[in-house]
Amino acid sequence: MINMTDKKAEQKNWGVSYGQMVKNEFMKNKLNIISLFFIIVLFLLAIFAPFIANDKPYVIRIEGKLSFPLFSSLTANDYVILLAACIGLCQLLLMRRNQRTIEPTMRGHVLRRQLSINAAIFIICSVMLYIFIPSKLDATDYKGMISSNRASDAVFAPIPYGYARTDLRKREQPPSREHWLGTDDVGSDVLCRLIYGSRISLSVGFVAVGISSLIGIIIGAVLGYFGGKVDFIGMRFIEIMMAIPVFFLIITIVAYWERSLFNIMVIIGLTTWTGDARFIRAEFFKLRNQDFIQAAVSLGLPIRSILFRHMLPNGIAPVLVNATFGVAGAIFIEAALSFLGFGVAPPTPSWGQMLSLGVSTTGRFLWWLTLFPGLAIFVTVLAYNLVGEGLRDAVDPRLRKAA
Amino acid sequence: MTDYIIRRLLLMIPTLLGITIMVFTISRIAPGDPFSIAMGPGGQLDAERFADIREQQKKLHGLDKPLPVQYLIWLKRVATLNFGDSIKHHRPVIELIKERLPITLTLNLIAFVIIYTVSIPMGVLAAVRHKKLFDRLSSVILFMLWSLPVMLVGQLLIGYLCGPAFKNWFPPAGLSSNYADTLPFFSWLGDRLWHLVLPVICLTYSGFAYLTKQVRAGMLESLRADYVRTARAKGLSNTIVIFRHAFRNSIIPIITIMATLLPAMLGGSVIIERIFSIPGMGMLAFEAVTTRDYNVVMAVATIAGLMNLIGLLLGDIAYAAVDPRVSFESKV
Repeated sequence: MINMTDKKAEQKNWGVSYGQMVKNEFMKNKLNIISLFFIIVLFLLAIFAPFIANDKPYVIRIEGKLSFPLFSSLTANDYVILLAACIGLCQLLLMRRNQRTIEPTMRGHVLRRQLSINAAIFIICSVMLYIFIPSKLDATDYKGMISSNRASDAVFAPIPYGYARTDLRKREQPPSREHWLGTDDVGSDVLCRLIYGSRISLSVGFVAVGISSLIGIIIGAVLGYFGGKVDFIGMRFIEIMMAIPVFFLIITIVAYWERSLFNIMVIIGLTTWTGDARFIRAEFFKLRNQDFIQAAVSLGLPIRSILFRHMLPNGIAPVLVNATFGVAGAIFIEAALSFLGFGVAPPTPSWGQMLSLGVSTTGRFLWWLTLFPGLAIFVTVLAYNLVGEGLRDAVDPRLRKAA
Repeated sequence: MTDYIIRRLLLMIPTLLGITIMVFTISRIAPGDPFSIAMGPGGQLDAERFADIREQQKKLHGLDKPLPVQYLIWLKRVATLNFGDSIKHHRPVIELIKERLPITLTLNLIAFVIIYTVSIPMGVLAAVRHKKLFDRLSSVILFMLWSLPVMLVGQLLIGYLCGPAFKNWFPPAGLSSNYADTLPFFSWLGDRLWHLVLPVICLTYSGFAYLTKQVRAGMLESLRADYVRTARAKGLSNTIVIFRHAFRNSIIPIITIMATLLPAMLGGSVIIERIFSIPGMGMLAFEAVTTRDYNVVMAVATIAGLMNLIGLLLGDIAYAAVDPRVSFESKV
């Protein structure tokens, strides 16, 4: 008992870490919480998409035998996404535990170790999953089996349609009880495709921003720390990158190379890092002459350690805020690319591509194919922008006072 | 000042070279070429003749030489303002651009003027009514507009205002009606403006949010400054304090934004021109990248890059002109 109270008292003395301060400030605004909640829901939809919308039943009795077509038809992709979700959840729980049990000064080291272990587990497991899970196509018409009385006791997902299932008899139908948000030009269910489309949008957002932040941080750090000639040449390069209209550059590259999600992510990442680089550069210019960096230099620490262990933590806050807006931007760019026909190849669903079907080839205006995918893009981008705005206010104490 | 401008103009040359080299490399090392796309892979021709024709075409357009040589040839031509011929249109690229650039520029300039005339008063008002209803309401609405995808707005406008679905008020596509050439000047102008309404709406609405926010932030800062308090203490009227004292000092960020907004809008017009089928630069760029019309791609990239750089330079010059504290003597 005494031990417990001791521990509590000790925790009080730890005070509040910077991360907690930002979190408390962020949570003060209701709108921020709502946006964050929405993004979490969106992630859940993306992760559990095959369980929410699927044309295969969870359970079905075919000629007296029970089978589980939905589970056996999950692809390696689905498993990897589920795995990532599990590991992410574990990491979050670990971080909560860290906050209770580990002293603030030590948290960084522990967190780094946990992150690298988890990343290693994720990479190894996903490679194994891709190798061992065969890609199979289960095109059995389970609904037909039920109507022809060959199967019974089927339990379907809430939205019993597959994203690649086409039905030309039911093309371009407005919302009805059967298809809640209508059907598209080949008769696929719009709601189902919207749910799967969130996977593309979210993954593009995160991977593209990850790439661009990484490049931006490294280039900005090098330019800001070394200054002089390196900085001059580097800044000319950044100027070149900034002078090219980014969207034009992206469509040039995307139009020329193979249409794939991976390419789009990489290209968006490679073309949008200039803002981060300039932020970090300016921050490092300021930090370079401060005492603790001088101390690190005179201790003979390797340059990598000075740049990324000592300077970066002091200058990363604006980049994190920028990254949130960057995710919104990347989602928007992906939607625009898909809208123009440069996106992922069908039948993989993407919100922008669905939106482009809103005016059919015959010139008919299909409002449900315009409104629903458009709203999906809008609400997602809005939520990210709101979170970004909230984070910026929370991170920057100067702005906090001014607002 | 002159020194500074000259130095900046000289620095523009390597930057422009960098842009062209980058776009050149990207467009040429990618697989595929314009002729295969134009003729289709094989089609009615047998493979041998197809390859033969492709080689001849490549030779004709100078695409058979090594890349650095091709680039130098291109550079030499561009130095005399000759951007070569379009492979798709069989016309000089410069002619195409002369046709298309004014369209995009008009569209963007109209949008630009509207953005400024709406945003500045709104930003000032929001700052004056800080934390009152107008401020809160306008910032929420503008924030939502900022996140609204232009594809959605464009298609909804076309769907509901240009057709049988709801109202048939506006033309859905193009710049002028078929019979426009026969009209007298003022009716022609009216027809043109009538066609421009929807595209301009799409171009403007997202700009409002950004600019209004900047104006508001600038105004808030200067309204808190000591000289504003002094002015009020002297007993000056509210209007004079706001417009003579506070607004003038918050104008500087607005000018720097002007330099970055215009080039950004040029890039964004690709989508809008596609939605409304407007034959502007964005459409030209789109067609060029999809058909691999190398000369057009290069010309668009060069011109867009040049305009961008000039915009940045003008922004810096205007910055110095407005703010006497800014001097370029010590800067690059």
